[in-house]
Parts: sequence; C-alpha cells; structure tokens
Amino acid sequence: MKDYLLHFPKEWQFDVGDTIDLWIKTFSRENREILTAIRNFVIASIKGINWLLAIIPWWLLIIIVMILGWRISGRKRVGLLYGAMLIFVGSCGLWVHMLETLSIVIASVILSVILGFPLGVLIAMNKRAESIIRPILDLMQTMPTFVYLVPAVMLFSTGKTPALMATTIYAIVPMIRMTSHGIIHVNGEVVEAAKAFGSTNLQTLVKVQIPQAMPTIMTGLNQTIMMAMSMVVTCALIGAQGLGMEILLATNRTEMGKALMPGICIVIVAIILDRLTQGLVKRKEAEQQ
Amino acid sequence: MKDEVIIKVENVTKLYGINKSEAIKLMKEGADKDTVYKKTGVTVALWDVSFEVKKGEVFVIIGLSGSGKSTIIRCLNKLNRPTSGKIYFQNNDIDQLSKKELLDLRRNKISMVFQNFGLMSHRTVMENVAYGLEVKKVSKEEREKKAKEMISLVGLEGWEHQPISSLSGGMKQRVGLARALANDPEVLLMDEPFSALDPLVKRDMQFELLSIQRKLQKTVVFITHDINEAFKLGDTVAIMRDGRIIQIDTPQDMALNPADEYVAKFIDGADKSKVLSAKHVMITPRCMVREKDAPIHVIEELSRNDVSTAYVVDDSMKLLGVISIDNAIRARKENIPISDFIDRDIYTIRRDTLIVDMLQLTAKSKYPIAVVDEKNRLKGIVSKSAVLSSL
Amino acid sequence: MKRSIVLMLALAFCITTVLGGCSGNEKAEIKTITVTNNGWDSQMLHNEIAKFIVLNGYENYDFQTSTGSSTMNWQAMIAGDVDLDIESWTDNVATYPEDVANGDIVDVGVLVPDSAQGLYVPRYVIEGDPERGIEPMAPDLKTVEDLKKYPHIFPDDEEPEKGRLYGSLPGWMADEILYKKYEYYGLNESYNYVRLGSEAALFASLASAYNLGDPWVGYCYEPTWITGKLDLVLLEDAPYDPDLYLEGKCEFPKQELKIVSSSKFAEKAPDLLEFFKKYKTGSQLISEALAYLDETGATHEEAAKWFLKEYDYLLDEWLPAERAEKVREALN
Ligand SMILES: Nc1ncnc2c1ncn2[C@@H]1O[C@H](COP(=O)(O)OP(=O)(O)OP(=O)(O)O)[C@@H](O)[C@H]1O
Ligand SMILES: [Mg+2]
Repeated sequence: MKDYLLHFPKEWQFDVGDTIDLWIKTFSRENREILTAIRNFVIASIKGINWLLAIIPWWLLIIIVMILGWRISGRKRVGLLYGAMLIFVGSCGLWVHMLETLSIVIASVILSVILGFPLGVLIAMNKRAESIIRPILDLMQTMPTFVYLVPAVMLFSTGKTPALMATTIYAIVPMIRMTSHGIIHVNGEVVEAAKAFGSTNLQTLVKVQIPQAMPTIMTGLNQTIMMAMSMVVTCALIGAQGLGMEILLATNRTEMGKALMPGICIVIVAIILDRLTQGLVKRKEAEQQ
Repeated sequence: MKDEVIIKVENVTKLYGINKSEAIKLMKEGADKDTVYKKTGVTVALWDVSFEVKKGEVFVIIGLSGSGKSTIIRCLNKLNRPTSGKIYFQNNDIDQLSKKELLDLRRNKISMVFQNFGLMSHRTVMENVAYGLEVKKVSKEEREKKAKEMISLVGLEGWEHQPISSLSGGMKQRVGLARALANDPEVLLMDEPFSALDPLVKRDMQFELLSIQRKLQKTVVFITHDINEAFKLGDTVAIMRDGRIIQIDTPQDMALNPADEYVAKFIDGADKSKVLSAKHVMITPRCMVREKDAPIHVIEELSRNDVSTAYVVDDSMKLLGVISIDNAIRARKENIPISDFIDRDIYTIRRDTLIVDMLQLTAKSKYPIAVVDEKNRLKGIVSKSAVLSSL
Repeated sequence: MKRSIVLMLALAFCITTVLGGCSGNEKAEIKTITVTNNGWDSQMLHNEIAKFIVLNGYENYDFQTSTGSSTMNWQAMIAGDVDLDIESWTDNVATYPEDVANGDIVDVGVLVPDSAQGLYVPRYVIEGDPERGIEPMAPDLKTVEDLKKYPHIFPDDEEPEKGRLYGSLPGWMADEILYKKYEYYGLNESYNYVRLGSEAALFASLASAYNLGDPWVGYCYEPTWITGKLDLVLLEDAPYDPDLYLEGKCEFPKQELKIVSSSKFAEKAPDLLEFFKKYKTGSQLISEALAYLDETGATHEEAAKWFLKEYDYLLDEWLPAERAEKVREALN
C-alpha cells in the first residue's frame, strides 16, 4: 500500500520502445529503394550547392557579402565588418569547413521553404489541416533532437542525408508557423476588399494575402536559417562534415582553445545570415509600413 | 428611367450565433436585441430589413455603432449571407447566383469603398486602382489607361507610382474611390468611407463624391453615423436602430416629420440649416410686376399688397430685378418707364440652396431674396425672418 | 464538491510525505560515493554492480552517479567532486599519464584486462548468412590489409567510386591511430575515412547496416552491447608491438579498462578501496550481460543483479567472506 502511494505502480508501466524499434527496422528493410533514392537525391543536391559555393573564389564571396551587407544596411561600415569577419574565418583555416556547413544549412533551408511554405498556406486556409498539423509542429519543436537523430541514421545512413533531415525537421517549424500566422493576420479589410472586387480565392491568396504576409514570412525564413545554424554541431554527431565536426573533434580532446575557433566561425556565419535576412525583413516592412 | 429600382432588399434578417430558432421565437414575441442576446447568446444584427435603392440615387444608411449598417451593406455584395430574406440586384436574387455570376456581379456591377480604405500596401497607387481590372484579366495596357483616368478623376495625378504608405488619409480614400470607380460599376457601396478622415478632409471628400456622382450618375449606397453627412449626401436616408430600419425618407421629410422620438432625437443633432433649403421656407412673392407695366399700375399693385418692393419679370416670368415704391413714384412723376428704375443688381438663389448658404445673403440683401429656377424664372422669395425662424 | 476533492488530495499528499519521511533511515555519518556516468552501457552496468555491492555489502555509504561527458567528468574528478571513474578508458584520455604523475588521479585497479578494439565487419560479410539469404561478399577478407581488395563492397554513397570506412570517435586516441593505420595500409586511395560525432551514431550506422544485411566496416570496441549482440569479426593485423602501435602499423593492444579515483578517495573510503582494487570482470562476460540487457529490455540495475547471480563466484574473489555473504543475502 505504502509502495503504491510513493512510487508509480510497476504494473501500470509499459514499453512501446521495442515495437517502434522493430517497426523502424522493418520499415527501412522494406523501403530500401525509396530510401536510397531519397538519399541519392539529397546527396546530389547538397553536393551541387557545395560545388556552387566552391567555384566562387573566396575573395569574390567576401566581396559579394560585403556589398550585400552595405546595400541592405545602408552603411559601408557594416559591409567592411562582414568582410573582416569572413577573412577571420579564412585565416582560421576553416573556409572549406564553413562552405560544407553552409551547403547543408542552405539545402535544409531550401527544403524547409519548399515544404514549409505550402504547408503554412494550407494551415492558414484550412481548419481541418490546421488541427492535424499544429500538434505535429508542437511535437517537432519540443522533441529533443537526439531522439530522432538515431532513427534518421537507421533510415538514411550517416552523413549529409540524415543531417539534412534532422536539420529540416527542426528548422522547418518557424517557416510553417510564420507563413500561416502571416496569412491569417493580414488585415481583414484588405482581404475583404480583394473579395469585393471579385477575386477568386486563389487570386486573393496570390495577389493579396501572400504579398501582404511577406514581412512575416521573411521573419519565419530568418528564424529557420538561425535554427538550421544551431543544428550544426548536432549534425556533426551523425557525421556531417564542417564547422560542427571541428568543434566536436576539439571538445572531445578537451582542447577548449581549438574548439573556440570553429565556434566563433559559426557565430560569424550566423550573425551575417541573420543580419542580411533581417535587413530584408525590415525593408519589406518599411515598404508596407 | 429615374425611378428604376436597382437594389431591392426584402425582409432580410441576419443572426450571429448558434441557437437561432430560439432567438427568432423571442424576437417574434417582441423581445429586444439585448434580451435576446442575454437569453440565447445570439446577436440580432439585422431584423426584417426591407428597402429599395433607385438607380442613380445616393441612398444613405445611418445609425449608431452596432446597429447593423455594415452587416446590411455587406449583404448587398454577398460578403455576408443573410440568415433569411431576399436581396435582388436588377431583379436577380443574388442568393441564386452561381459562383461565376457572383464574381461577375462583384467585378462589373458593384464596387465597394472601405472605412479604413482596404488598400494593399504592397502595391502602388496605380496597381491598387487597377486591382479590380487585374482580377478581371483586363490587359495591362488597358487597365493602366483606365486607372490613370480614375486617378486624375479623384485628383491624384502624379501619384500613380507612389507607394500607398506615402499618402495621407484623404488621399488614401481617394485611391479607394478611384479603385471602386475603375470597374465602372453601377453601384458603389461605401461603408463609412469618410469616418476615419479629419473634418476638413472629410468635407473635401464629400464634395468630391457629390461632384463625381453627378458626373457619372452612379448609384451609391452610403453608410455613415454622422447625421449631417447623411443629410448632405443622401437623396434618401434610412435610419437603423438595433438591426431594424425605423424610417426611410428624404432628408427634408425626415427633418420635418421624424417618424418617432428616436429619429427626432437623432435629427436634433443635425444642423438643419444644412438640410433645409430655400424651397422649404420660400413663399410666393405677393407682388409681381412686368417691365412694361405703367408706373401707376406698379404703384397700385404695391399699395394693394401693402409691400414696399415689387419683383419685376418679363413675359416668360424671367426675373429682371426689383423696383421699390419710391422709385415707382419717381418714375410716375417724371413720366418715364419703370425699366430705368429697376434695381437689377439683386441676389438670387435656387430652390435647393441650403439655408446655411443663404445666411450671408440675407444679411447683406435689402430685399427678401428671390428664388429662381435654372432659366431664371422667379419661383418664390425668402424673407429674412423666414430664414431665421427655420433655425 | 470541489472543496472535498481538494481536501482528499491534501490528505493523500500528507500521508505520502509522512510515509516517505519514515522511510528515510537515520544512520550515523553516511558518506556518499560519486562515480562517473559517461553515458555508455558497459560503464552503467559496471556502476550498477558496484552500487549493489557498496549498498548491500557495506554499511556507511550512499552511492550516486554523476552523468556527463567523459571530459567533464574527468575534470570533476581532478577537482575531487567525483570520487571514482569505474571503467575508465584511460588510453583515450590524452592527459592521463600527466594527471597520474601529478597525483591528481590515482590508479586503483584494472576492471577489464582484455578489451579489444579495431576494425570490425559483420560476420556475414565474410561468411554469408544462409538463414537471411546473404551470400558471402568478401570471403577472403581476414586482415585490415585485405580491405584494399574490397572498396567496392563498402561503397560510400556520398562518393560511390570509393569505399567508406567508419573511423573512431573524433578526439579519441584510437581515432588518431586508426587514421594513421588507414594511411599506412594505403586505404586512403580507395576508401573515405568517415568520422561520426557520437557513439550513438556509430552504433546506429552499424545496427542499421546489420539490419539490412548491408556490408559495413569500421571501428568498434569491446565490451559493448553491440559486440555482445551482433556477430562481428575483428579484422586481424600485425601482432602488437609497443613501438609500432602508435603509428598504426600493428594491432591495438588488448586494452586495460581501469578504475581510477580522485586523490582524496583512498582517505575517504579505505575499506571500499580494497574492494575496487579487486573489482574485475572481462570483455566476454560484460558483453554477454549487455546483450542480456538489450534483449530483455531489463534495466541496468536488473542486469547487474542477473550478472551477480550468474557469476556468483566473482563475489568471493572481490570481497571478504562475510561481506560477500551479505551481498548474496540481498540478492535472494
Ligand atoms: N461576425 C460576427 N459575429 C458575431 N456578431 C457580429 C459579427 N459581425 C457583426 N456582429 C454583430 O452584429 C451587430 C451589427 O454589427 P455591424 O458591424 O453591422 O454594426 P455597424 O452598424 O456597422 O456598427 P459600426 O458603426 O460600429 O460599424 C453588432 O452587434 C455586432 O456585434
Ligand atoms: Mg460598420
């Protein structure tokens, strides 16, 4: 009696872990071809992006970022600062690692946009879809990444593919949420005006709701990029090369100093991506007041 | 032609809430809106509303906030659907329209102007004005031409390529108006279009609307909670209260014969000098003479009517001027025709000149002011005392 | 109604706390022993076995674990916040010799004398598995050097012309040696050396390949649950030579997994020190216990009890007779 009050009764405990394990194992056996095809596609796309980044000479990339920084912020100093930061990355000997990291981040951001944007629109337009998808999003956002890292390896082997999947699962959420939030909160009168002038639902969506929601959607994109960046080290755990792996190598050797460099480089890349996209958001907002 | 009915609303009721049948029962038993809401949670936005809008008129709906004005105007282009009742547009029941016909109605027949403008901030002035044409798939060239025309009609030339955010409130509503006109609709629905504007701008816009309306002969359904605006713009005014229409009349009839205490109180807030016009206070001139009448005759007329001035007209009743008794006597003494003694420099007004606009004239004028028609024919006169007593 | 529910709940809570309070025992001067839990299974099991013995065979100790990464725990032990690292992979700790020389860390004993590590392949890669319908893929694969002949068997899907060889964990000594070995045997021409960032991922990739019956070659070590559970073959290498091993030119030595302590432990618990000096298992034994753990879904605590019952004779080797008896009593 006393035991029952103090401890959760043992008879009430159950274990679904094994069933799920078995399910994942069987699933990966039975869907080999599809999974392999996905894997090959992902690998090819990431390689493509990496190739693109790599054929741009380092100095040109720096110049492009400098110009973007200057144009978007409207201050020359900012451009110069970004340039200096990137030169720092190069002089740490981490340029190639940065490109590797970037190609995974960019690929997962693209995937997040391709999947997340239409899903966000769907949620905004359809109550039923919303009631199904929203809890899944909550789940994706709160589930510790580590939990799906291993299944991702079981399904997609190691390296770029599961890294991309895990990053996308984590980073896609703000894209979906902000898209739907933006669309739902477009000024009601404006939407009504569109309707009153005889727009079809599609016209209303494309000509009014989406453009009006653009600043919010861009904010979502910004958050998605930031979240993808924050997955860099986690992805190294499943074998993704890049800055994250450098950090792991160093921390596992208790070489704090050496871990600091790639750490700072991640911060640099994140800051630059954040400021550039946020600059875009601000511009959009200013346009629409 | 003038009396052709374009919109007909029949017994329209609109309820918001779940337990509608219970609410209907209570309403039929004579309960009021608040009681029904407390007992059933149903909002009675409209109850048994009927009216007709005639082609070419400005039909104003006025009422306090929450009285159902927006609800009814939104029913007219089916942004809202009535719970029961029928709405006919050019004798077609709009509830029976197919999807395509409804789009057609909204694209070509009815346009709307919104209280907070409802403009799309990601588009320029031009793109906003052309929006209605764009969804109709009118070619870019054509729609820009039309949009340009409308932009200059509302007085915004030169602003075509500006973003909406750079405009002032009044300019924004001009864009809203231009957008609605660009479709060349038969009916303009305007839901408190000027409420968000400051009073000076509002006056300009009212003037603008009236002149455009006269030029283009559009039918306008106009919503306001400002009785002065209603009386200024409306050919017909409907007063709403708690979802019902309690009186539909011309501003003048409403001002003179309010249907009940509520309407009377409402109108009390109105400046009647802006509603009543010359025709409401004028009298037929007691003494009229012709130019060729002999002075002796004029004197006789004047003394018979016991007045000091006579209005001089020609054969077709056109007003020529005023002759005073002193001048008539002089003419007779000197034996010349009265035409040399007529005071031709007098003020005239029209039948529908508002009293507010005559106040200055009556102060300046030596005589009662003459009311003439467009051919300058004398119709009546308005005395100083009549003007003052009407206020 | 509402109020009575609240009252009932409050009552239940009171009873529970009172009962809970009673159950705390008031022995004099209890010392808490803190050991590292670096997150791998074999260590957790070893910890549980030790815990059972310390709690049941001795009187004055409480036992707790400090969960964290091995590097963090190592620093904590130097600082004296953690007492013991049971199953310490000292070969992978770069600063170990230095720390012992400085007296920051004390060697207590050898827990597992015969831990192997190196490059493994699933047995079916060499011999096939008729039951699962798997044909032998590399029947002549015996040694690390043989791998040169088979890069096409282990294709790297990110670069299919080459094979993929899974290295050890980033930062481990074994990883550096393995990389040298990879270069020494010329595998770098036909294989990519892929490093996964975590043990979980490394084992997941092995388990996933094993599940699909796919070829896999890479680093693994014993004892682990995975070597206990899967049928793996350690590829042979040149015999161990202390001079060549660091360059990767020969096999890894049988590694000793040690028990090490903070400098203060001997003083704090002299009687326990005697036990930990003798505490010793073996690669085979522990792998079996780990496989038991994985197959039955038992907790580490349960597996520890199972182990102590199964290998009852160990108690006599580790403990003075009367203490061993006490543990036996508690087991039954
Ligand atoms: N979507 C809705 N759901 C529930 N109730 C509504 C809804 N729309 C309007 N109502 C209610 O219907 C009634 C009439 O509203 P309506 O907007 O037509 O008033 P209005 O006369 O336009 O007022 P205002 O001058 O404030 O614009 C109000 O009581 C309002 O609360
Ligand atoms: Mg309204």
